[in-house]
Amino acid sequence: MRALLALTVLGGGMAQATVAPALRIGDVLPDLPLIMVVLLALRRGPEFGCVAGFVAGLLQDAAGGGLIGVQALTKALAGFAIGALGGELRVTQPLVQVPGLALLTIVEGLLRFGLLKMFHYDVPFGELMLYVVIPQALYNGFLGAALVLALAWAETFRRRAS
Amino acid sequence: MKLRPFLILAMVLVAGLGLLTLQTRGHGARATDAVAFITTPVQVAFASVPRAALGLWSAYLDWKGVRVENRRLREENQRLRVDALWVTDAIDENRRLRGLLALRNRLPVATLASEVIARDWGGWVRSLTVNRGRGDDVKRLTAVISTEGLVGRIVDVRPGASIVQVLTDPTSTVGAHALRTRTTGIVEGEPRGTIRFKYMARDGAGLAVDDVIVTSGLGGVFPRGIPIGRVRAIDDRGSALFHYALLAPAVDFARVDEVLLVSGEAMPDLTTAFLVKTAD
Repeated sequence: MRALLALTVLGGGMAQATVAPALRIGDVLPDLPLIMVVLLALRRGPEFGCVAGFVAGLLQDAAGGGLIGVQALTKALAGFAIGALGGELRVTQPLVQVPGLALLTIVEGLLRFGLLKMFHYDVPFGELMLYVVIPQALYNGFLGAALVLALAWAETFRRRAS
Repeated sequence: MKLRPFLILAMVLVAGLGLLTLQTRGHGARATDAVAFITTPVQVAFASVPRAALGLWSAYLDWKGVRVENRRLREENQRLRVDALWVTDAIDENRRLRGLLALRNRLPVATLASEVIARDWGGWVRSLTVNRGRGDDVKRLTAVISTEGLVGRIVDVRPGASIVQVLTDPTSTVGAHALRTRTTGIVEGEPRGTIRFKYMARDGAGLAVDDVIVTSGLGGVFPRGIPIGRVRAIDDRGSALFHYALLAPAVDFARVDEVLLVSGEAMPDLTTAFLVKTAD
């Protein structure tokens, strides 16, 4: 589990540092660590999702230069929630994946906004939601769904090969 | 659900909130330092690994780009070289034809311009084939000249072409004299592809290297005064009746492409025409 955790965090961080800028559409970047945390939390459960989310978020906070711990907390909560609800969700359906990830990104954004407000960091809510959170949520939704499909295809291929 | 995940969640929440609280209460530097202590090495690794990967990737892309560009430039270079060769060839041909036209205008005899279409350089026979034949009213033994001097004579006339026996042909003989000393003799072709001037020893006094040998006009085949070559060396055979002078031909037979066939009946002295040409 530790190795997988490290791999998730490192992989997510590396992807965010390298791949995400290349995937930029306009000013919108996907939140790759969030997608990876969600994907792995669905498979490994809430503990894994929580710790992976925390570490991945911490790295993002440290890289971003803002308040350290905001994304760590929001991603930890997102990872925990998805890990806990994973059994209840039919995540193999793209019709669930896209809106699910989009909604999760919005919730994570709202949480982040709430935490920043709590710690006296004023950010304009409307603009933040309109220009950052919602576009990113949509992007995360489609990208996450594509990754889920790719993983499912890879797993099928591996099973056939073995 | 088990209790352990909630414990972990609680710990994570406490840690996160603790970090945030520390930062907002003025201990941000410590909290940041503490996190940075752990995260910086990871960030360094993040930065270096992808940079190396991206470096490799961009190096590969550069290499690929350079390779494509290199191929394109090579092709362009080759095309330009071919173009340059065409241009050089065209300029060369233009120069030759201008020279031939100028000579033709200067010559007091009728001439027929012709192009060399084949060469027989075997050694037994040294000949050129020109693209003028019976249809052009070409006669056997017609003198063939170029801008530099005498090439040879027509030995065979065919419907669309004629065969020119070149001066270096082993059976070729031409009546000639030295322009400066007026020493008369015969220019003979040799099997090794050279020509020599055979003259009587008693007439050869004063013949020197670099003397110009021209046609003598004797025999009625070649007009007088067409350059044949320059004396390169003198083969003094002592008391022998004939001496020889090795000649450097005025015409480069291997390279001559355009010639004039002297078609007129008259045989005037052409020395001046070629001297004028030399003066150009």
